[in-house]
Amino acid sequence: MGNHTICKDLSQQRKRRKKNIRKTLVILSFIAPALLFYLTFIVFPVGESIVLSFFKVKIFARKATYEFIGFENFRTLFADEVFWKAAKNTVIWAFASPLLEIPIALLLAYVLHSGVRRNAFFRIAWFAPVLFPAVVVGIIWSWIYNSQWGLLNAILETLHLGALIHPWLGDPATALPSLIVTSSWMWTGFNMVILLAAISSIPKDVFEAGRIDGASNSTTIFQIVIPMIRPTIINLMILCFVGKMKVFDLIWATTQGGPMWATETVATYTVKRAFFWGTFEKGYPSAMATFWFFIILAVSIVTTIALQRKESLEY
Amino acid sequence: MTEKGEYIMLFNLKNRPLLQIIVLIILALYTFYTFGPLYWVFTMSLKNTLEIREAPYSLPLKDPKWSNYPDVWFNSNYRRYFLNSGCVVGFSIILLILVGSMAAYCFAKHPFKGSEFIFMLIFMSIMVPPQVLLIPLFQLLVNYRLINTLTGLGLVYVATQMPLTIYILRSFFAQIPNELAESARIDGCSEWGTFWKIMFPVAKPAISTILVVNFINLWNEFIYAVVFIQVEEMRTLPLGIMKFVGEAYEDLGRIATGLTISVIPVIILYTIFSESIIKGMTTGAIKG
Repeated sequence: MGNHTICKDLSQQRKRRKKNIRKTLVILSFIAPALLFYLTFIVFPVGESIVLSFFKVKIFARKATYEFIGFENFRTLFADEVFWKAAKNTVIWAFASPLLEIPIALLLAYVLHSGVRRNAFFRIAWFAPVLFPAVVVGIIWSWIYNSQWGLLNAILETLHLGALIHPWLGDPATALPSLIVTSSWMWTGFNMVILLAAISSIPKDVFEAGRIDGASNSTTIFQIVIPMIRPTIINLMILCFVGKMKVFDLIWATTQGGPMWATETVATYTVKRAFFWGTFEKGYPSAMATFWFFIILAVSIVTTIALQRKESLEY
Repeated sequence: MTEKGEYIMLFNLKNRPLLQIIVLIILALYTFYTFGPLYWVFTMSLKNTLEIREAPYSLPLKDPKWSNYPDVWFNSNYRRYFLNSGCVVGFSIILLILVGSMAAYCFAKHPFKGSEFIFMLIFMSIMVPPQVLLIPLFQLLVNYRLINTLTGLGLVYVATQMPLTIYILRSFFAQIPNELAESARIDGCSEWGTFWKIMFPVAKPAISTILVVNFINLWNEFIYAVVFIQVEEMRTLPLGIMKFVGEAYEDLGRIATGLTISVIPVIILYTIFSESIIKGMTTGAIKG
């Protein structure tokens, strides 16, 4: 009798195992194509960039020579003044943008939420700039900033502020701030839409209670709205920060890093060194890219942990 | 998203005219700020360069030059750029929908040990700056003779858009009740059959969202195109615009027309699908 049950058990086990293997195969067949793309085009290149940054890589006529040089590339990098200029510009951009975009977006979202009944129109209209290619936005804004017939200078003139007239993108002192304004023109509406959705999800009773207590608008914003949607605000700040650490296309379409490296960013400098300077040396730009990748990774991990620790308590 | 009837008036504007005026001014100013530049370029596209030079801000009421449009369209490489962009975007989106929906379905309905972790890793790749990928990908594409081809560019696009696509589709599949798939299985459907015959059609709304969002992202994509495409015949639209602007250096009317033409597809899509575009493009941000 015992033997019989064991046999039955075994055959059942075998059946189950067979079923399990089949199930694994099915799962694999669903997920394998995506993983293949992910490994080939994301994981493998990231790994290769990291490895290449320790080599001197000369590429000539489709043949590459590799020479291991340890940390030499990073030593060069830390001594490269243009890189530091680019890093400084990028960091300024990455800090200025969230501080510029998100308060304005929050104010706009608050006005829409509290004062406008049919706000779908404004939501759709204000979101629009982010849909246009950065190349187009860059060209339009380089006209706005044009020193001879630009829209900005014309507006300043009609406002009797002629003293401020300026070649905005031609002057190293104003080129970077001008481009930062352009990028915030693109992205403020995007942030506004998300903040509006977050404000709308706050229970009405909370606002009602505030109104009964006679809370003014500024009290409502600072005491009710901001604390309640804090996780969203932090998310947007990090997203905006990371996005600007990678900024490339707007610059490429307008100043290409000039004048005098005033708008050079890490992304534009890396691309120039790797593909447009004709050096055929890929080790150094790889080191640059790798270094910046780890900075972005570190900053976003640290800020996420530091700022969102309280999220679970609040929501 | 705000739904109809959900609005509450925090401050009663009827009794507070000053506040009402302030709100109106903010709305008007910001709308002018977002639309002023776009409208300005549109007016310029209806003038010739001489008229622009004389009066850059006048409205082209007297004699709008609609002929600028056919002129640019037929006497430049714009048709080529549109075709190239259309091909590469179409190719990538089809692959993205097939590959992405399969993976998303698996993540949502057949979680296995470590699937959550793999999903997170894939999603994290949103953080990776393109310049880390550019150099190795360039070599890879050269080695497989895919450099300067739309296929090569398209494959890279599939990989870079995969995280967002899987993310949107996964959350959609997760909402579908398990009973639907189970009843199909009881009817003798294989796992593949269940997916393609039942789940994939059900996911249509999410698929249309990723379709329009990926279209807009890829139609505007720039950095990969700049590096991987360096021959005229393969230029996508953003590269084409740069080239066109460079060639028409001083001819502002022509450039303005070119810029306007290049954004027409996006404007058309946005007027039809504005809600789902906004929803799709903001999904990744709401829950990072």
